[in-house]
Amino acid sequence: MRPEFETFLARLYTDAPLRARFLAGPREEAERQRLTVEECAALERIDRVGLELSARSFAHKRTLKASSRRARSWWDWVRAALGRPRH
Amino acid sequence: MAEGAAAVAEVDVADAEVSDRFGLTWQPALAAGILSNLDRIDVIEVIAEEQFGAPSRATRALETLAHQVPLLVHGVALGPASTAPVDARRLDRLARLVERLEPAFWSEHLACVRAGDIEIGHLAAAPRTGATIDATAANLSRAASIVGSRPMVENIATLMDPPASDRSEVEWVSSVMTASGCDLLLDLHNVHANSLNFDFDQVEYLDRLDPERIGAIHIAGGCWIDGPDDERRERRYLDDHLHDVPDPVYDLLVEVGARVRRPLTVLLERDGRFPPMRHLLWQLERARAALAEGRLRAQC
Repeated sequence: MRPEFETFLARLYTDAPLRARFLAGPREEAERQRLTVEECAALERIDRVGLELSARSFAHKRTLKASSRRARSWWDWVRAALGRPRH
Repeated sequence: MAEGAAAVAEVDVADAEVSDRFGLTWQPALAAGILSNLDRIDVIEVIAEEQFGAPSRATRALETLAHQVPLLVHGVALGPASTAPVDARRLDRLARLVERLEPAFWSEHLACVRAGDIEIGHLAAAPRTGATIDATAANLSRAASIVGSRPMVENIATLMDPPASDRSEVEWVSSVMTASGCDLLLDLHNVHANSLNFDFDQVEYLDRLDPERIGAIHIAGGCWIDGPDDERRERRYLDDHLHDVPDPVYDLLVEVGARVRRPLTVLLERDGRFPPMRHLLWQLERARAALAEGRLRAQC
């Protein structure tokens, strides 16, 4: 597997407009990304339900992680305001 | 199945010859329950990435806990199943954590979590090819050299059959184990979830693994989710760690006990919607009974 293919898969998981374009015309979008003939053929047969559900699940996880980071930042701000050293 | 049902009591766990260990994933929300039940919990799994940004007093508390009960370190964000080399900074942090907590072993998922500069957000299945086997083995070798020990590697649950794959999941997992020398942390709920989503026989999956390379077991729960409206509402089964362990996973644990001779560490993963502690402990007891039943079957 080439890094370019791996990166395109990651973009499909995370970029909703790209995913919509891809699902409307998988081969056309894959060719536009300059993937190989074999990679384009594999993407044409992609598990469409699985792709949508995976993307949804990953988006949920990213949201949870971002919330967790925000909560930690907020707590750091309170600690700084109270003048307590960060360990 | 009701708590205290006969299934838990039927097997005399003490009869099992090998000393298996049973435990839970550390969660702050479960801390009080875990600490007050250490007589029923043999081992605790700590999520590595949750400790990376934690105050040092939290890590010191875990160091203290490690004197009372063996700890395991479990990574969720290294992403070795990738053509890109694993991040050296992450490995350095992992190495420091392993040095501090001195776990019985550490583990990581056979997953891709980022590509280029894109963070996927969770564990994605890599295309199952010879190229990803070689790349994953190289990443695991790099991880072992920096952390100081090989990880156990975990099979993942996936909602999507990865495109461009040229072999089955179990073939790919077995080949990675052979190429990397890493033993398997076999997640039975992930096998169950994938068998429902991609229609394979989960016992045949077990039969195709080298039983002597299985070192630890995860059990967990999940739920069905609906597909997009325009795809005839096809459902998939999600490994969410928010539900009780379903019966087929205990059945698989019996099958594991019948095949694996070495001592196993069995961990119940629960990440939220926590039930009362006694209910989690009851699930651990069911797991003890299931594994012991399989061990006894192997002796007959």
